Amino acid sequence: MTIKVTKKGKNLTVFLGGRLDTSTAPELEKTLQQQLNGITNLIFDLAELEYISSAGLRILLAAHKTMLTQGSMKVIHVNEVVMEVFDITGFVEILTIE
Amino acid sequence: MKQKKKIGSQNGTVSGKKRGPGIVFKSISGIVLLLVVFSVIVSIIGYNGFTDALLTQYSEGAFLTAEYAAAMVDGEKMDEFAERGPDSPTYQDTWNQLDKLCNNTGATFIYIIRPDLSDYRHITFLFSTINHNSDFTVFDFGYVRETTNDEYREKYRKLYEGTSGQELVLRDRGYIETQPHITAMVPIRDQLGKTTAILCVQRQMDVMTTTRKKYVNRVITVLIILAVLVIIIQGFYLHRVCLLPVKKITSEASRFSKENTAAAEKLTKTIHNRDEIGVLAQSIDQMEERIVKYVDDLTKITAEKQRIRTELSLATRIQADMLPNIFPPFPGRREFDLFASMDPAKEVGGDFYDFFLIDDDHLCLVMADVSGKGIPAALFMMASKIILANFAKMGKAPCEILQEANHAICTHNREDMFITVWLGILELSTGRLTAANAGHEDPVIRQPGQPFELFKVRHDFVLGGMDGLRFRENEIRLQPGSRLFLYTDGVPEATNHRNELFGLDRMVQALNEHPDDSPKEIMNHVRNAVDDFVSEAEQFDDLTMLCLSYNGTEPHPGKEDSL
Repeated sequence: MTIKVTKKGKNLTVFLGGRLDTSTAPELEKTLQQQLNGITNLIFDLAELEYISSAGLRILLAAHKTMLTQGSMKVIHVNEVVMEVFDITGFVEILTIE
Repeated sequence: MKQKKKIGSQNGTVSGKKRGPGIVFKSISGIVLLLVVFSVIVSIIGYNGFTDALLTQYSEGAFLTAEYAAAMVDGEKMDEFAERGPDSPTYQDTWNQLDKLCNNTGATFIYIIRPDLSDYRHITFLFSTINHNSDFTVFDFGYVRETTNDEYREKYRKLYEGTSGQELVLRDRGYIETQPHITAMVPIRDQLGKTTAILCVQRQMDVMTTTRKKYVNRVITVLIILAVLVIIIQGFYLHRVCLLPVKKITSEASRFSKENTAAAEKLTKTIHNRDEIGVLAQSIDQMEERIVKYVDDLTKITAEKQRIRTELSLATRIQADMLPNIFPPFPGRREFDLFASMDPAKEVGGDFYDFFLIDDDHLCLVMADVSGKGIPAALFMMASKIILANFAKMGKAPCEILQEANHAICTHNREDMFITVWLGILELSTGRLTAANAGHEDPVIRQPGQPFELFKVRHDFVLGGMDGLRFRENEIRLQPGSRLFLYTDGVPEATNHRNELFGLDRMVQALNEHPDDSPKEIMNHVRNAVDDFVSEAEQFDDLTMLCLSYNGTEPHPGKEDSL
């Protein structure tokens, strides 16, 4: 699991790579807790993400809820595997995916 | 060395080897040995120095006496004395003078002799006086005796031939007939300087030998006293400073290695050394403290782990008991047969299935998966299961059930947990299956005469994620002889050691191998296919499956039900 974060003012982009599952999700959760304060525009770049489990979805959902109150959130570069998970779980209905 | 034995008997052997001498014995015996060597060297040097000094003194005294005596004797008269002896008019005078000299100078023996000049083998006594305190006897005039040895002969010759003015014979070692003595010899000469006789002054060296003996005795006595002192002081010191602390440390270390318990008294409380022993004692104290604490912690952790394990195994049973698990579940109902299983990856899981009759004609089926695994997922699963069942039993439609349940779950969900649910209600009289899907895997359905196929519909969002969502419903009519297979993502996402996923294709293929088998058999096929695929790899996710066969209200022609 790799997490890269770039912050420009109130814009935060999070690049995720590898597997986001039960064992790696806490790391992302911690990163977001530290970085999300004051952010109005959050982007998740999932180009390198190979797998996402329900634990990973939970983190995206929490971020989505946080951003509902303080700005907007977008998920970009979603590959086929991850998109399938978003489809099955209905996350496509909730998230802004580009 | 008492201490050494004591330790030896306490511990017997050290790492299988017999114990050697203790450190105190080694260190003291080393010092004593050095002391002995040192004393021997000092004795030899002293003995020799002593001997030299005394000899010089003796010989100087003897020569002085000899010179003095020789001056008193008239060298011209020697022939006359030899011929006439005591009859010579001055013989007695000369003898008296010599006797006086002998008794006043500490000489033992003063005598004048003439050796036979051919080979000096015999000497003839002309005069002979003795110290009255000695137990010698005088040799009478004219007494002839054999020369004692070659040394005397050689020296007599030198004195007679005039090559030497004085000679000294020292007899203090080897075989001697009398006490050790020194003999100073000077020639008596006539006016022409020719030697006419030899005057000898003999002095006993008894004083020298006794003094020398005393000296050696004193050295030996001092050595013994020193050795005893060294043994006592060094022994006492080593015993106190070294051996006692070391003994304490060894016995404590040996006790600790057997008992592994804290010491009644710390070593540093009694050992105050500021040397290596002190450091050792301190280290052992610290080591024991840490090990004891570590063992304590470990015991606590183990006990705690045991407690958690017990609770978890209880939780596993409670969770398993929460799910309907008696098959066949409705032995009286011939319209359907179903089988289900839940196999958590950890002791407890977040997957669950559920089924129950809402009324006589409606069977509710639930397949759900809580995000995450383990205890948090299990707790969330229990609540969700009850909420879903409660709303379902109120006779609501699937979409309403999910909507209400979503609201109920969202109200008390600060941890952002969510749950994917497929919920369907089967009208047993008609085979009409109404279902709603909140983010769950698509069911696999097989209509009679056709293979198992994924029944894809558009999914709504998971439950617990967002409040106030609306859910859609879908409907399909199951023909008698149909099969419905529900599962959680643990099945398609079962992973082998090459990190490959089992996948939906393999799952559907496994279902289609024996599509007409009973639900239980069909599930066994899938389970075996998953196990074969995963092989050695660890089960990563919960595996939950449910299979239903719908038989219709009348027995399906050409197909015997296993009920």
